[in-house]
Amino acid sequence: MNAAKKSTPGGGIFPLDKPDLLVAYRTMRRIREFEERLHGEFAKGDIPGFVHLYAGEEAAGTGIMMHLKDNDRIASTHRGHGHCIAKGVDTKGMMAEIYGKATGLCKGKGGSMHIADLSKGMMGANGILGAGAPLACGAALAAKFRGDGGVAISFVGDGASNQGTFLESLNLAAIWNLPAIFVVENNGYAESTSRDYAVAVDSYVDRAAGFGLPGVTVDGLDFFAVYEAAGEIIKRAREGGGPALLECKMVRMYGHFEGDQQTYRAPGELDDIRDNKDCIKMFSERVIEAGVVSRAELEAIDREMTAEIDAALAFAKSSPSPTLADLSTDVYVAY
Amino acid sequence: MSNAIGIIANPVSARDIRRVIANATALQITDRANIVLRVLSCVKACGVDHVYMMPENGGIRQHVRRGIDRAENQGLKHFPQLEYLDYKISGTVEDTFKGARKMLELGVAAIVVLGGDGTHRAVVTSCGDVPIAGISTGTNNAFPEHREPTITGLAVGLAVTGKVPADVAFLPNKKIVVRVNDQEEIALVDVAVVTERYIGARALWRTETFRELFVTFADPEVIGMSAIAGLLEPVTRLDGHGLHVRLAPEDEAAIMLDTPIAPGYMRGIGIRDFQPMQPGARYRPEISDGSIALDGERELSFSAKDDVTIELVPDAFRTVNVSACMQYAARHGLMRMTKT
Repeated sequence: MNAAKKSTPGGGIFPLDKPDLLVAYRTMRRIREFEERLHGEFAKGDIPGFVHLYAGEEAAGTGIMMHLKDNDRIASTHRGHGHCIAKGVDTKGMMAEIYGKATGLCKGKGGSMHIADLSKGMMGANGILGAGAPLACGAALAAKFRGDGGVAISFVGDGASNQGTFLESLNLAAIWNLPAIFVVENNGYAESTSRDYAVAVDSYVDRAAGFGLPGVTVDGLDFFAVYEAAGEIIKRAREGGGPALLECKMVRMYGHFEGDQQTYRAPGELDDIRDNKDCIKMFSERVIEAGVVSRAELEAIDREMTAEIDAALAFAKSSPSPTLADLSTDVYVAY
Repeated sequence: MSNAIGIIANPVSARDIRRVIANATALQITDRANIVLRVLSCVKACGVDHVYMMPENGGIRQHVRRGIDRAENQGLKHFPQLEYLDYKISGTVEDTFKGARKMLELGVAAIVVLGGDGTHRAVVTSCGDVPIAGISTGTNNAFPEHREPTITGLAVGLAVTGKVPADVAFLPNKKIVVRVNDQEEIALVDVAVVTERYIGARALWRTETFRELFVTFADPEVIGMSAIAGLLEPVTRLDGHGLHVRLAPEDEAAIMLDTPIAPGYMRGIGIRDFQPMQPGARYRPEISDGSIALDGERELSFSAKDDVTIELVPDAFRTVNVSACMQYAARHGLMRMTKT
């Protein structure tokens, strides 16, 4: 994806025409397939390090990234696979990176939490919570100096939104009127700690207002709600209107990390998420009901995505690991 | 009859995209809590001892609790007993439906509503004959009148304790009923027919998608969709009819109208024609596919296979007539105290 998608508001049934609706579905399915496969593979013990899955949150990343071009930058989080895919990063290179293979996007030295692809404007997943926001400010400042209409987006979870780095970045973006957008992906839990306990401010819109920038809350499970709101916010930033905060209320389908027993959830919570809060299912039902897309067309995409992730996995597993000599390359100090 | 009242305060009104496109207000949670505290102290001053409140997890509750605790620490007795309704919070409009329904069952004498037009609509959907008193904490706020909540609280207190007689204290209101096949929804101010089939970010701001507008009243002093009607042909809340406006692209329009469709957001609206909306008549949208926005938010989508009707219903629910209550209070010396 990751090409600027022109919306066609006005007279249309949806804000996107059919080809773009299919692009959106393909992206969300690609993320879901990628994550669910990792869920199964991680349990086998072949994947080094941690993985944090984006399954359930696809509508947010996709609805936002549909508005971006390659020269727009994003700073992701520890839960970065979905952002990567929505930004157009290659799934083979991602999978190989997660497996720690030499063919990975970062030559197997980063792993899940440090996947980056600057050619796609993906500045990196980030293992340090809240560390993406200052990076986005830097990228936004660069875009402002270049005057090319570029924007930078920082993703942050509800937990990391309490980090000083994030709050300082809101301030910096406001005073410099940066084309920076702060997306709070509020899935209700900071690891296992409820947002209701851990976030003192009661509304992210209040928090944004405290720094002098507008905030908006949307249903992050509704692709169209995110797409519309993000479109207006990004357009405003491109035109010099300055930074804004977008809170997407969402759910995650798996634990904080793979292996998390999720004892902090209420009984039945995960079943409710699967049955009633699946953003991809909601999207599918709406476009099919409207008669714009057929179920068969979506199922064809499902099969296509299964094959793509099959290929990515096979590529990752068959790729060579980095050698010992690779330890001293791509570092700032010469050995 | 009990003079207990209910309060429904929506923590998520005034949070949509109009903060970005129109510099709309973003009333903070602490401000909402302070409004609740002001209302509580005023109804207590009028003799109301018990208040039920909708539970929510947006933060209002904690700040209200803190305010009451501080007053108690100081030995002050100016708040009534506050009781939260007991049900599982969903964080959606369902909480409001449930809260209003439970308050109806509890026999409250009135419900004070903090929210925008959408919140008031949700309360009216479920509160039956219980009168409501609106306080604006939303974006466009065409339905609730703008005034200091202290006064709204006083008027409610005077009304429910019988100090102001019911024929003065309460007003009948119109509503619009929208039916899509078997589904029935209501609007308190306006129903807009737009071409988009998706609900999306809910708010209305793309004027090129507007096709038809039905309003219960048309006030040139409000903003939003009803402002279109208000600037064409004012219709009061008490008039027996509403207004039906057909919109058109500029090249087909009979009138171009400069309209504040969101806070500070002036847009040219093409008007094909307009005429009174008669109560009891069933109107059908002229387009076959689109969405229906109720009080400024897209709520229902429809296609050619759906049967959609739009009907003005008079005398549909009651509101506290704050202005009349305060006038009555002044003229009858209700607020005069005995010298100590």
